Amino acid sequence: MRALYRASRFATSTIRSLLYESYRFGTFSPLIGGERSFCSHSREKSREGAVDLSQYPPERIRNFSIIAHVDHGKSTLADRLLELTGTIKKGHGQPQYLDKLQVERERGITVKAQTATMFFRHKFQQHEATENENAPNFLLNLIDTPGHVDFSYEVSRSLAACQGVLLVVDAAQGVQAQTVANFYLAFESNLAIIPVINKIDQPTADPDRVKAQLKSLFDLDPNHALLTSAKTGQGLEHVLPSVIDRIPAPPGKCDSPLRMLLLDSYYDEYKGVICHVAVVDGALYKGDKIASSATGHVYEVSDIGIMHPELTPTGVLLTGQVGYIVSGMRSTNEARVGDTLHQAKSTVLPLPGFKPAKHMVFSGLYPADGSDFDALNHAIERLICNDASVSVTKETSTALGMGFRCGFLGLLHMDVFHQRLEQEYGAKVLSTIPTVPYIFEYSDGSKVQVQNPAALASNPGKSVTACWEPSVIATIILPCEYVGPVITLCSERRGDQLEYSFIESQRVLMKYQLPLREIVVDFYNELKSITSGYASFDYEDAEEGVEGKLELWRSTLQSKDFCLSSSKTEYMECNFSSNRFSGRFVTLSNQAINICICFRYLGSIHNIKLSVAEMRVLRWMSGFTFSNMIRNKHIREKVGVALVTNKIRESLLRWYGHVKRQPFDDPVRRVVVLNWPMLRKVEVYLKRLVKLDILLNGQAVDAMATIVHNLKAQRVGRELVDKLKKFIDRQMFEISIQAAIGSRIIARETISAMRKNVLSKCYGGDVTRKRKLLEKQKEGKKRMKRVGSVDVPQEAFHELLKVSKE
Amino acid sequence: MPRAMPAPLQLLFPPFSLPLKYKPHPISHLTSVRSSILYPPAVCGNSSTASPHITTPPPPPSSIYIHLPFCRRRCHYCDFPIIALGSSSRHYDDDPRINTYIRLLLREIRATKPYSSLQLPIKTIFFGGGTPSLVPPRLIASVLDTIRTKFGEVAADVEVSMEMDPGTFDAGRLEEMVGVVGVTRISLGVQAFQEELLRECGRAHGRREVDEAIELVSGSYGPRSWSLDLISSLPRQTEEMWEESLRLAVSAGPQHVSVYDLQVEEGTKFALLYTPGEFPLPAEAQSANFYIMASETLKHAGYEHYEISSYCKPGHECKHNITYWQNQPFYGFGLGSASYINGVRFSRPRRLKQYEEFVKDLEAGHMSAKNNASIVVDKEMAMDVVMLSLRTAKGLDLKSFQRSFGESLVLSLCRAWRPHVESGHVVALDEERKAISIGKFDLELNGDCQLGRRVAFLRLSDPEGFLMSNELIAVAFGVLSP
Repeated sequence: MRALYRASRFATSTIRSLLYESYRFGTFSPLIGGERSFCSHSREKSREGAVDLSQYPPERIRNFSIIAHVDHGKSTLADRLLELTGTIKKGHGQPQYLDKLQVERERGITVKAQTATMFFRHKFQQHEATENENAPNFLLNLIDTPGHVDFSYEVSRSLAACQGVLLVVDAAQGVQAQTVANFYLAFESNLAIIPVINKIDQPTADPDRVKAQLKSLFDLDPNHALLTSAKTGQGLEHVLPSVIDRIPAPPGKCDSPLRMLLLDSYYDEYKGVICHVAVVDGALYKGDKIASSATGHVYEVSDIGIMHPELTPTGVLLTGQVGYIVSGMRSTNEARVGDTLHQAKSTVLPLPGFKPAKHMVFSGLYPADGSDFDALNHAIERLICNDASVSVTKETSTALGMGFRCGFLGLLHMDVFHQRLEQEYGAKVLSTIPTVPYIFEYSDGSKVQVQNPAALASNPGKSVTACWEPSVIATIILPCEYVGPVITLCSERRGDQLEYSFIESQRVLMKYQLPLREIVVDFYNELKSITSGYASFDYEDAEEGVEGKLELWRSTLQSKDFCLSSSKTEYMECNFSSNRFSGRFVTLSNQAINICICFRYLGSIHNIKLSVAEMRVLRWMSGFTFSNMIRNKHIREKVGVALVTNKIRESLLRWYGHVKRQPFDDPVRRVVVLNWPMLRKVEVYLKRLVKLDILLNGQAVDAMATIVHNLKAQRVGRELVDKLKKFIDRQMFEISIQAAIGSRIIARETISAMRKNVLSKCYGGDVTRKRKLLEKQKEGKKRMKRVGSVDVPQEAFHELLKVSKE
Repeated sequence: MPRAMPAPLQLLFPPFSLPLKYKPHPISHLTSVRSSILYPPAVCGNSSTASPHITTPPPPPSSIYIHLPFCRRRCHYCDFPIIALGSSSRHYDDDPRINTYIRLLLREIRATKPYSSLQLPIKTIFFGGGTPSLVPPRLIASVLDTIRTKFGEVAADVEVSMEMDPGTFDAGRLEEMVGVVGVTRISLGVQAFQEELLRECGRAHGRREVDEAIELVSGSYGPRSWSLDLISSLPRQTEEMWEESLRLAVSAGPQHVSVYDLQVEEGTKFALLYTPGEFPLPAEAQSANFYIMASETLKHAGYEHYEISSYCKPGHECKHNITYWQNQPFYGFGLGSASYINGVRFSRPRRLKQYEEFVKDLEAGHMSAKNNASIVVDKEMAMDVVMLSLRTAKGLDLKSFQRSFGESLVLSLCRAWRPHVESGHVVALDEERKAISIGKFDLELNGDCQLGRRVAFLRLSDPEGFLMSNELIAVAFGVLSP
């Protein structure tokens, strides 16, 4: 079978080489798709085998990604690179080529990872100008990733398929919060980082300032930064050569059994599930039977190819290549991002890092038009075909009827899901106030996880002994004149400051641990408004930062002879066996976690090069202020040096006054103990979270219940009541709006009865017009949700979402 | 054109084909006894309203609305299709625009095919506007002549109503209209008795003209019945002004009073200047108060509040308007006018040029129902019946409604209104028109016994229910068209 197939491939490739000639002379073959015309020699398309991937061994492949803060020009740069290589034709196709969803275009964000394969002739490590014709052709895969923290897991998987990134920074705006987060993602993944200072054509561009920032924040060599303007095309000619010169080739083994990483998947009405994959080791041919490491399911590959930029069948994907497969998966649920796919008959060690989606934010979704549950159900079913990271369970609300409780990766994810439901599936959705998953522990020892505040009993009859809420680590970068109000904002939101440092004379980087609940609604808007839009904000999952990372690293470290223990012992003797250095990590699970780190220098100081895992350790060790360490020290090869010198200890001492020296400090083995108060468990103690009910004419509205911090209940209650008063129209009777904790009313407003609503005008015989007027009024009623006897407009539910800050 | 519409549909629904729904045609039950005799309700009716006349032809219209769009100027609240002549000249009698329009109007009437050979004598004719009193009496007479030629001799007790504005007629003209032309009822557009309010509205007359007009109309040349029309909730209208207007209205001694509540319509000058409920317009509570004041004052003076905005001395209801409220068919002629014939509602073009083209098409006989014609389907019919009948003091006749639209609809309607019956906005009445208590209403609603044993009518209470009519009708619409 395979032999036959290869034979036919050989035949087609001869034809192809003929076609190839016609390309070069600018004649178009009828065999090439008629929708687009291509003039680049690198454009081979439309027919299986039109691209001969065997020409591209790993050393001729570069897999890279572009990472940037929002609006720093990532998508435009991607467009230019696609045009430059003739992958898309200039002026044709839509801008932001890789952002295919309407929501992505509207918001200028990337939600789904996209990949495009480009071909580029370049003389590797070129020192002298050569004829371009003789230069070897490279296959470049641009893997576009979402930039937002909500999708950081997807990003990390996408980055796992890359060997390098272009870190794009706006020449005028400089480094922003998301730049920092993205840098560390790439840095942790041990990727080559090419700084690109973009938008240098702007009048306010200040590349030197940005270079200084890159140097001080990330220790990136300013001389290595590329200066570009994706808009004017200035400097773009250096980008791809730098990619080829500075990013290593994919490291996979051609002769090993197939292992490929599933990057993303989407559902196509005609083809079914289409998976984006990166072949790490081995090769995959059309017709192969593959299996999923996560589920064990076996599929037959019915179509395979590259995205060039649309699906272009190639019949094969070889080591280091990135492309798509169609394999008869029925829903994207089966295609889990991060999964390892392999030949069905062989067993392989799965690629590291697979984990199921973790839902941080929950919200109820209800049909906006009263009874139209089926339409919403259908829309959600179809959308989760394309976005398997949403969890969906049916729920019923007395106020809103039948609906769904959906779990999202984060706020943006929720928003995007919402918008896609409306835009792509025409569903009209009413969503309840988003909530985070809380855990309540009662006096009888029972624990409840609450994803819907309404599910929490208002009067449970037993006391709550403890409750937990998730929190995040937020990075905020802002001009120093706004520091005061931002600190106030963060402390209002129950935030704990973790870090405060100047990244340059006028700009401050702050890190806060914030309860997720406090930023779920409105935090970013508030932050933007008090800083006139100058602050940038990003966050990461704090729980991830503590427990999740411990877990993740426990496995990575153990494989590297590190050992991580959560024992209560002060510290434990190190077990040195690595040929570099090794240590033992002892965590003490008090309120504060003491971390004891022992390192022993085993080789020559100057030869130390840290592995990815080691870098992670380093970052973990220094926690959220790694940037400070890096900033004060050198790039990563040298960090290892710094680590074992006294300098690093000094730096740690400077940042944490409470770093202690351990008794057995000897020149070979250096021990640092950090007393680390900010790494405390994400807990809120004893009875400090309460359920806040909203009552309309004495009847609790389940869809409006929220869980709030006790201290804020009064204020939130007042605000919710005021908001509702503004949005509920007067009705034929008086309406009371109350906020209550248990049976205690904490806020109340009254809406007086409507006095008059009559069409007392002579419309003569124009009955149709009269009827239409009243039908409009009826439609208005339909858009209302009836809660007991009270009609609540949907806007009221939407408006409640905005209440949060106090 | 209304009647051109169902023609192709007849082929789709041949008589005695399988009925889509088993339901007699509603119109037949809502018409007068006399027409029911002529057109007995067909038991084996085809429910499709698109072809009602195949099995149960609805009664032919016996009412005619004629639109005479001329005004001296446009009032600031007005969004009717009118033609402003300009107030420079006081002599419109030879205005070529009026002559041309009337010729066009007559062409329309002539070109209209009578509904059927069974045309009944016309019982009401209403000249609305615009300001019909600007049209010379001889032209009005020519319209009436044409109607007689077309539809046969009118009924002996025909009501010929005409809207007249103060300052547009003198004794001679009034005498000619009433005595020669045959106008039997005048609707006098007084609107307000305060000079400043009349100015505020952009009316073309002042208080002096109002007093003169009242004297003329109520005098010996006047018709046997006339109506005084007022508008409440005008900008800067105070309670004292309204009280004065009501008092003067009563003392003028009309048989009929219409009280319209100002609606700020899109595209009018008022819409540009004012927001309902905000100064200088009265607040909602104040405006409701005006309504209640009118209701109380006029009832006290012996007027019956027989419809949301209409009051009359016994026997002086506007028969033409009752046609509308009983959802009966009527002809409509002239610019922008609406007609309801054979289950089809049709609105004529509101612009003169398009109206002229419409008339030409009509004469040429190739009128297609291209615009503004809509077949009233069952659901809409039910909505119209509810909407229109609830405007009246008589209210909704449940038995007749049940016969036309089924028992389950009546039940759901009663259920939806139950809270409003309880709050007193809706009144349930028995056959003798005695109010039924909420307890008994509930019994009937929940009991096994058939609904309608006791509750025969549902009406809106006066004034609280009337004041909330939109809200209550919208609730009913929610049931009829979920």
